[in-house]
Amino acid sequence: MTLHLPNQRSQHWKDALPGLLNQESSAPVELDCGEWSLNCSDWQQLLQLLNTMGRQLRWIRSRNPLTVVSAAALGLDAHLEGNCEPTAAGSDEPDGLLIHQGTLRSGDHLQCDGDVLIYGDVNPGARVSAGGDVMVWGRLRGIAHAGCHGSTTARIVALHLRPVQLRISTAVARGPEDQPLDGLTEQARLDQGAIVIEPAETRRFR
Amino acid sequence: MSTTRTILICSGKGGVGKTTTTANLGIALARSGASTVVLDADFGLRNLDLLLGLENRIVYTAQEVLAESCRLEQALVKHKQEPNLALLPAGNPRMLEWLTPKDMQAIVALLEEQFDYVLIDCPAGIEDGFKNAAAAAREALVITTPEVAAVRDADRVIGLLNTQGISPVQLVLNRVRPKMMSSQEMLSVDDVTDILALPLLGLVFEDEQVIVSTNRGEPLTLSDGNSPAARAYSNIAGRLQGEEIPLLDPAKMRRGLRAKMRELMQTKIF
Repeated sequence: MTLHLPNQRSQHWKDALPGLLNQESSAPVELDCGEWSLNCSDWQQLLQLLNTMGRQLRWIRSRNPLTVVSAAALGLDAHLEGNCEPTAAGSDEPDGLLIHQGTLRSGDHLQCDGDVLIYGDVNPGARVSAGGDVMVWGRLRGIAHAGCHGSTTARIVALHLRPVQLRISTAVARGPEDQPLDGLTEQARLDQGAIVIEPAETRRFR
Repeated sequence: MSTTRTILICSGKGGVGKTTTTANLGIALARSGASTVVLDADFGLRNLDLLLGLENRIVYTAQEVLAESCRLEQALVKHKQEPNLALLPAGNPRMLEWLTPKDMQAIVALLEEQFDYVLIDCPAGIEDGFKNAAAAAREALVITTPEVAAVRDADRVIGLLNTQGISPVQLVLNRVRPKMMSSQEMLSVDDVTDILALPLLGLVFEDEQVIVSTNRGEPLTLSDGNSPAARAYSNIAGRLQGEEIPLLDPAKMRRGLRAKMRELMQTKIF
């Protein structure tokens, strides 16, 4: 049986969850988070709550991409429900884009199969790898790997492209030694097996 | 009781000044009238007691408190000159084998009943020692120096603190050399805050007096001495308590006597 967190306007999940848990048997919990936006510390509180009640989480479902990302970052089995996919317009890949909000700090490693959009910086020592494109709405100063499953058309775009290392498909390149101009959005793509950096194209992705 | 502020002092990298900061901040807070306790969570390589000059007064440690073979009051070591400050010494390094985050929370809960400020001196690294110390803290001060490796490690630690739900996390930039900064041989303040994206609580300039004072076991903030580091630590303590004290600008610090002389020579008086 699946537990449904209440609508955001009616009740806060922290208040509702103990009651919901009491109704059910002791089987592992399947949680439908609805529209709730839960960050990592929310998840930690939620897991702690489950822990104190002696329950385990089997999987979670959510309509909010941020919730899914933060749950996945904590190693939970998380699924995104389709109906508010923010980038679905015109795309023929339904689970195409992963949005990560917040800075990736040293030691973090964000992985996904589709494209990834990061609202924040990728700091030195952090890594992003994506099956598709890597887009950073911020400064990319760590390691980015686009097309990690072999796609050679994948691109890496950042408002501020200052990576330690770039990888596209199987190609690897060190970041540029001379610092490019500020305020120039750049992209990296594969050109005949080598990674080239150029001003970002203004045309739509894909 | 719930107004107690439990602050973790951590850095990731070793040797950037966690223990020195803990000792000096502890004294500065105590001098301002707040009852303060410093907890040495660096069980493996304890030396907070050395810096405070209290090594020879330790009878019981956190270990005995946890084992309930003594009362907390017996283990707390009052500072000889600053009665508002107490130290809870770290126990035997063997504690590392069995200490859990729950034990740390138990100790800190005991301390929070009695004190306004609990400062936890965190060990270097991000292994069990760090996790134990972080489990009990509510806020954190991340100490870093303007070096690439220290900033990288601090960044990693901040990420871990964020997942633990510790907030606010503030930054102290230690061992700043204004001269090297202005000649761009060292990371600038902006370089560091750019990467770490944390509010800067204070800058501490490189100061030889720190070495003298740590060897003597008398933190700089203990006397009314006017060394740059002592002033910086007092300012940080003030800002922690909500005072508005402007940050020093390393670019202006550089203007030593010689620079002023040269300026005078170049001014046309007639």
